Parts: sequence; C-alpha cells; structure tokens
Amino acid sequence: MIQTIRLDHLLREEVATPYRHLVTRRTGAAVRSGIERALAASACHTALLDFTEVDLLDLSCADEIVAKLLMNPGPASERCVVLQGLREDQLEAVEHVLNHHRLAVAAVLADDAPPDLLGCADDDARAAFAQVRNAGPTDAPSLAGALAWAEPRARAALDALASLRLARFVDGLFHPVTVR
Amino acid sequence: MTRIIEIPTHFDDRSFDQFAASFGAWPPEERLLFDARQAQWASPYGLIAMLTAAQALAEAKRERPLFAVPQSDDVRRYWARAGFFRHAADLFELHGRVPRATAGPSDVLLDVTPVRAADDVHGVVNTIPEAAARILHGELGLEMKATMRFSMALSEACQNIVEHAGTGGWVAVQTYSWRRRLGRRVVVIAVSDAGIGFRRSLETSHAKRFGDRWGDGAALEAALIQGVSRFRDPGRGQGLAFIKRFVDQWNGKISIRSGTAKLSIVPTWDDEDPLVEHLPFFPGAQVQIIIPAQEAEPK
Repeated sequence: MIQTIRLDHLLREEVATPYRHLVTRRTGAAVRSGIERALAASACHTALLDFTEVDLLDLSCADEIVAKLLMNPGPASERCVVLQGLREDQLEAVEHVLNHHRLAVAAVLADDAPPDLLGCADDDARAAFAQVRNAGPTDAPSLAGALAWAEPRARAALDALASLRLARFVDGLFHPVTVR
Repeated sequence: MTRIIEIPTHFDDRSFDQFAASFGAWPPEERLLFDARQAQWASPYGLIAMLTAAQALAEAKRERPLFAVPQSDDVRRYWARAGFFRHAADLFELHGRVPRATAGPSDVLLDVTPVRAADDVHGVVNTIPEAAARILHGELGLEMKATMRFSMALSEACQNIVEHAGTGGWVAVQTYSWRRRLGRRVVVIAVSDAGIGFRRSLETSHAKRFGDRWGDGAALEAALIQGVSRFRDPGRGQGLAFIKRFVDQWNGKISIRSGTAKLSIVPTWDDEDPLVEHLPFFPGAQVQIIIPAQEAEPK
C-alpha cells in the first residue's frame, strides 16, 4: 500500500499558516512530525510525499523534512519514501541536503515517470536501482546476469538499495519502489 | 552629556565603519544623538544599521537615543516609504518632521522589516516573490529560476538571526543603480541583528581548534568558508553554503561583518579585501548580499 501525504495540507494543519512556503527549521520539524504521525498510523510500505502545491522550499526545511525523515529511527525508517511534485529549485534544495548527509531517496521527476534516484549513491547502487525499476523484482543471480556482474557484487548492490529503502525485499526478491 | 553619531551623507556598507567608529567603547555611556540631517542617501544596509544600533542600546539598557531626521524632503520621504521611520519611532526620540509613509517605492522589494521569530521569516518570503520576479527577471535580466533561489537565500539569511543571534534583527531588500561602483543595477539584501555575533555564537564549539587565531575574523571564516555551526546537528551550516553558491552563480557578492571583522566573497567586479579585521566594534552581525544585473551576451 502506498500512502500519499500532501505537504501543503500538512503545512496548513501543523503550522496553521496561510502560506504555502516550506521555510524555517521550526516549520520543517513540525511537518516532519506530522508525516511521522501519519506513517505510524498507516500500514503502508511506501510513503509518497507530494510537494506539488508547495511554493518555496528552503534548505533548512528540506533538511528537517527530507534528511531527518530518512535518518531518524521511527515510522518512516521502515518504509520506502518517494518524493513527487518537486520543482527545479526545490529539487536543488533536496539534493543539496541529501548530498550533505550522504543520503539518497527516490523521486518522481515527471508525470507518469517511474521514480529516479536522488542524492548520494554509488554507481553500482544506481545501476541496480535502474535495473530493478525497469525489469521488475529480482534477486542477486538475476541482477548479476543482467548487468554482467559477479554475484557478490550484485548482492552487495541490492543490499545497499534495501538499506537505503530504495527497494523492498519481499519473499526473496528485491522489488522496485513504485507509486501506483 | 550627549555623544553625536554622525550619519554618513551616503550611508552604505563602505561608510558603515565610520558610523561604527563614532560609538567609541560599546555600549556608550552617554546619551546618543544620531544626526542624519545631512544624509543624502542610505542603502538598506545603512537603514537597518541605524535600527540595529538603537536596538542594541535598548537591550544594553541605555537611554533612548535621539534622532535628527534628514533635512532633505526627498530623503525623509524615501526613508519613510521604505519603512524606516515606522520602526525608528519605537527606538529613537525623533526630532524633525517625519512624513507619513505612503506606499513603498517601486525599487524597494521588501520594506525595513523586523525579524524576531520563524513566523517573521514566513512573512518575509511571502512578501517577496511577485516583486522579486518583476525586478530580478524584468530589470536585472536574471533567469526566472533565480527568483525562487533568491527567496531561498533571503529565507536562510533571515533564519541566521532567529537561530543564532539570540535577539531580533532587521531585513530590507532594495534594487538600485550602482553607476560608480559597477555601472549596472543591483539588488541588495541587507540583514542585521544586534545579537551575540559569530565569535560568541561559535566560541564554545570551535574556538579551541583555532587557538590563538580565534577572533571575529576566524569565526566568520569558520561559518562562511568551512560551513560550521554552533549546533551539534550535522544538518546545520547549509544555509550560508547555499547563499554562497547562489551568489557565485549570479556573479554576486556576500559580505558578513561581525564584531570587529568583515569577510566577503569578492567577485571580479569588486576590489574589497576578502577579510578585514580590527574594524571598529559593532554589535551582532550584518550580512549584505548583492546580485548585479546580468550583462547581455555579446552578439
């Protein structure tokens, strides 16, 4: 199950602001708490954070919402997190904080497109992410065959994806992050 | 006894040190008279510097300073329209006729605005976008995508007050022609607070590493160049890094003055020394970000 969380709604609920700007650490922390509460009450395997109706996202808020959500132990640490609806400037803010903390997250960057990988991941993790996304659920021997890698290398790349929550390990297979 | 603080006739970051020097030891014991009668022009940096000084005096429990308003009608009107007198009336005993503030001048993107809490930052970024798009894109020739980044930089600059100063501060944003210094229009963000300054903010966590070098200049280097913060949270310190990148992208300039030092990231069009130390002391921190009009591509 995928749970969509609209950041503009959460902003209004958590901060009671008439604005659609995600700025300041205090605002970011309040919105992150709202996300964590929503996820704690949900059985979803993937949280889709929708930035579509957000105007401005500054670095401080991106750090509080995205980076800390990914780093903190809590309800989000069990789920895949996917971002969508990021404009170019918002994307820049998110990538800045991901790289700062050496984190990665999946993001839908165009309508109807499958998720891409944002942030800090090595070449093998990126290749494995693309392969799982394009070819569907896989295991280490299949990935090794598809990418002409040795099996331990494929296994390490898939384990890295799972630890970054960029793939879900279910019934012996690594599943792509999906939003539909 | 009253000490006269002469307001420079052209009050900007370059004449700021003359202003700071006139206070003597801080905080001054005497009552102060800010004499702006001869003032002909003040940048946003100059306007909020005067408010910062008055705020610092109030926080130091000094007598409310006097303020002699500019003799020039035009200057008085302009300062009123930029929102200066609205706040000055709370901090100074004003002497001279103060015109009623009408709608702000079209080159003021953001009136002189107090920043005391996170809510104020929301207010600032909510005020800016429409005018920023008109001026940055329409007049200065920056790409549209610069508008949102400009607001992000402004937000981060204001948050430095909320997060680090330990007291309130001020922000103003304005565009004007810089004929003599650059020959182009610029947009200027000025942010100033009367707080503890960079050295005290970082002292507990970073002074030891610098040893004898520790001081206002080293603290500014640590914050602006090395991206350190007083917080243990590893996510801190990214705001100034973003501002630096934004400024670099648009061939702009950022300078931060705190205590007795000033550190600047200097573009090719400017000749200021990157680090100046042993300046006259002034409380808190003063940040100025300048983005120039983009030069047309040669045809």
